[in-house]
Amino acid sequence: MKFTTTLKIAGAAAFITTTVLTHAAYAQEETIKVGVLHSLSGTMAISETTLKDTVLMLIEQQNAKGGVLGKKLEAVVVDPASDWPLFAEKARELLTVDKVAVMFGCWTSVSRKSVLPVIEELNGLLFYPVQYEGEESSKNVFYTGAAPNQQAIPATDYFLEELGVEKFALLGTDYVYPRTTNKILEQYLKDKGIAETDIFVNYTPFGHSDWSKIVADVVALGADGKKVGVISTINGDANIGFYKELAAAGISADDIPVVAFSVGEEELSGLDTTNLVGHLAAWNYFQSADAPVNAEFIKEWKAFAGEKRVTNDPMEATYIGFNMWVNAVEAAGTTDVDAVTTAMVGQKYPNLTGTEAEMLPNHHLTKPVLIGEIQADGQFDIVSQTEPVPGDAWTDFLPESKVLESDWVELKCGMYNTDTKTCVQLNSNY
Amino acid sequence: MLRICLVLIAALIALAPAHAQEGNLNTVLEAYRANIEKPSRTTITPVLEALVESQAPGVAVFLEKWREKELWQRKSDGRFFYVSKADGGKLMLTDIATGEEAGLADAAELDNLKPNSGVRGVIAAALVQFQLSDPDPERRLQALTALERDANQSHLSILRAAIESEQDPAIRTRKERLQRLLTIKFGFDQATRVAAIESFAGDPGVDARAALNPLLATSIQAFDAVPEGVNVARILTPGRDIEADAAYQLLVDAGKARPIVPLAERKQALVTNIRDGRVGGLPVAELVTQEARDRAYLALAADGSVPPLVTADERQEAVAGHVFAEVYAEPDAALTEAAEETLADINGTVGVYRFLDLALDGLSLASIYFLAAIGLAITFGVMGVINMAHGEFIMIGAYTGYVVQQFIPNYTASILVALPLAFAVAFLAGVALERLVIRHLAHRPLETLLATFGISIALQQIAKNIFGTQARPLTSPSWLDGAWVVNDVVSISYIRIAIFVLALVFLGLLLFILNRTRLGLEVRAVTQNPRMASSMGINPDRINMLTFGLGSGIAGIAGVAIGLFAKVTSELGSGYIVQSFMTVVVGGVGNIWGTLAGAGMIGSLQKLIEFFNPSNTLAAQTYMIIFIIIFIQFRPKGIIALKGRAAGD
Repeated sequence: MKFTTTLKIAGAAAFITTTVLTHAAYAQEETIKVGVLHSLSGTMAISETTLKDTVLMLIEQQNAKGGVLGKKLEAVVVDPASDWPLFAEKARELLTVDKVAVMFGCWTSVSRKSVLPVIEELNGLLFYPVQYEGEESSKNVFYTGAAPNQQAIPATDYFLEELGVEKFALLGTDYVYPRTTNKILEQYLKDKGIAETDIFVNYTPFGHSDWSKIVADVVALGADGKKVGVISTINGDANIGFYKELAAAGISADDIPVVAFSVGEEELSGLDTTNLVGHLAAWNYFQSADAPVNAEFIKEWKAFAGEKRVTNDPMEATYIGFNMWVNAVEAAGTTDVDAVTTAMVGQKYPNLTGTEAEMLPNHHLTKPVLIGEIQADGQFDIVSQTEPVPGDAWTDFLPESKVLESDWVELKCGMYNTDTKTCVQLNSNY
Repeated sequence: MLRICLVLIAALIALAPAHAQEGNLNTVLEAYRANIEKPSRTTITPVLEALVESQAPGVAVFLEKWREKELWQRKSDGRFFYVSKADGGKLMLTDIATGEEAGLADAAELDNLKPNSGVRGVIAAALVQFQLSDPDPERRLQALTALERDANQSHLSILRAAIESEQDPAIRTRKERLQRLLTIKFGFDQATRVAAIESFAGDPGVDARAALNPLLATSIQAFDAVPEGVNVARILTPGRDIEADAAYQLLVDAGKARPIVPLAERKQALVTNIRDGRVGGLPVAELVTQEARDRAYLALAADGSVPPLVTADERQEAVAGHVFAEVYAEPDAALTEAAEETLADINGTVGVYRFLDLALDGLSLASIYFLAAIGLAITFGVMGVINMAHGEFIMIGAYTGYVVQQFIPNYTASILVALPLAFAVAFLAGVALERLVIRHLAHRPLETLLATFGISIALQQIAKNIFGTQARPLTSPSWLDGAWVVNDVVSISYIRIAIFVLALVFLGLLLFILNRTRLGLEVRAVTQNPRMASSMGINPDRINMLTFGLGSGIAGIAGVAIGLFAKVTSELGSGYIVQSFMTVVVGGVGNIWGTLAGAGMIGSLQKLIEFFNPSNTLAAQTYMIIFIIIFIQFRPKGIIALKGRAAGD
């Protein structure tokens, strides 16, 4: 009896001591963990490493301002190595082992698609900062890059109206983003009265380098006296060979303009751009945007990453997403995913081009559409800038997705059929 | 009506002198400030017309500066200026009308106006009249380029006037050609237009076809009888040349037939006409078949409450009672006939040239594959070593070229240095690989394959760590820029020609080394029978090392060439490894000529499949691999198979 009592007291004492001790230790270094899920090796490292650095810089700045909710932010960086299934594994690791409050990550659509089931199962939070093909809206994802109506469609309008293009060559790399985008664009062009025979489509493998035949095909399109324009969804390294061949063939941007959706400052920095002057890119941000907040951002980025580094559109998307998340957490008073998700919708934050971004109920942003002409120094001259356009998750130009809508506030559904007035499904496993 | 016209003319006359009197550029600019600030291709024409009409001095200069994005606007009052750099980071403003200096300003106080390329094209077209007879040949060429892109009726007379005074023979030829093109589009009398059309017979230029094709634009129309007075391309027989439904739709569109009531509308009409549970006298319960519903609809149509049904007979009759024809938009039959003939002639020529161009492309691709594979032809073909890291030697060569360019800014000199250096670096890497790994795994092909594959991944990662993942530029010297243009159809970039020449040189060099030198003799001896060779006093270890180094070194040079026309990344080599093995296997192992034949076959085959399937290059590569698998079934030893003892097995 006596022995057991002693044991009990000792046990209670030990229990109290450990709790107090762990609590003290916990309070000392309590941080909010932020997961960074970008490939640092493999094919996509070329683009994604920059975004990892951007998140690290933003965290450093936020901590200098005192952190969030009085706690410091702590980055947890993992490397999914451009290996799509590994993205899902690393996301699971971040959520279950590191217990991160939020993740910033993914570049290619296929990597995002592989992460989706994991974060929906574990109720995580992902900010996706790259322009993509749309046709998706997940409760657990905020899409801070452009949807097709914020990049592809306005660029096509620019071709039709400002440049008077009558014949289109849609060149793309063979994977989901270019195929979906081109499908939308083909339908859009047909609706605009462009004949099917005036649309030339070509797909090439990743890293394609033998472009002479394709460039010759594009030139030959001009034989019936119509102005030809190229819409390029060519991704990654293949662009270099394509632009080199274009330059070698002496094709001036005034004769056959090329608008690219995946070529930005970062991609051009590996290229001699003197022969590409005048060709176009459509984004929601260019480094050359004339706004004080942008000048400040560029200065900070160069101080953080190096004098030679450039800024680009997905960096701006990361910047907006990060700051909106910080404000939503402050507003919700917690990092709980459901509370933050609710607080996110309606968040406003100044973007880097002088207007304001707003998070919509479909988890997409309002963004201005900018069209830039390539300059000899690898920067862009902005020749067209719209007012902020609300991002549309489901495109209006394909009959099957025209009836779909996403609204996580009123309808509480990411795939709502407006004809049948039902929620098709809540998860994004499509 | 006449009176209104007169008033208008009077008003115009009254206004015209006022315009001429103003003459001050700034006033015109002020009037159109909004359009100049935010110009669009569709709204800019009135501004340009007003500017040209004002005849103010300096209009041409203004237009040029505007087009060159050298026009600035002051934010405070919206006035336009030219600027030049002044001391202290400030900008000196220049008044547009007077050309006088108008004070200093900060860059932040000004906006640089940047018209887009659509607007620049319209400005360039307006500038033509000022530039076409300019003493500066550069300006005249600019004007011609602008005309080639975008010309209108008024330009024809200006151009004709400018030809006489042209001294430069090259520019004069271009002007004359352009004059003929514009005559086709905008000429007045039939004879000169027909002559202009016929003058382009056999001309493969895209611009000639671009001028002729619009003349032949047709539309399908329906007529009551065989049409007269219109320029008919051909009469269409319904059912054969044109679908009967489409023909009927044409009649409906032209108001010559009643529209077909769609099924959905017919259903709706039945629903709205339900009276006491009956539709058109039939009980609703009976309307379960389409036939019954049709009867009900006909009954409704009979008392006129719904539009009558169009029966199949009626449609047939309507289509049969009309003539359908493709009609040219161009009314003059002589012109369309001439254009048709000329175009047929041109298409014949273009066909021949396109084949030539395809052959050139195929040849160029073959030479690239050959260059990438020739090193492998030695290490794999002659020595029998399966070296999966071969692609990484190509990459090493490309990066060597990049590093050399960092030290030698002159591109010509740097390439000349890079070629031997790439050979040396890749040679050393190859020797190291042979000494450290491959020699220890001799005659164990599976282990060699795995080991070299691992090394290839390691080398790629090392390259990523050193050079980063961003693609690095390997810039060709300026004399390799551009393309050898025969005409608008046949052209090939100089860089590809250079690669072709390089491939030829290495073919010759390798043949020389293998067949004419002592090293070559020893290599052949060692590969055929190493023990016999060593008993003849040849050191097989040394020969194997040198041979492997030679193969790797050539891969390094291939790397410089490939980097020049594509990109330098750590994955550069892995993209060529499959093609290289394919080339060697298809061509025939152990033979340089075989590699040449293999590269030629794969290159031209790839282009041929791309020609038949232009929309998917990836599919073209897949078809090619299928073809090669089948080919290997029939000729397992490749195109050129070694015979007798040289075959080795």
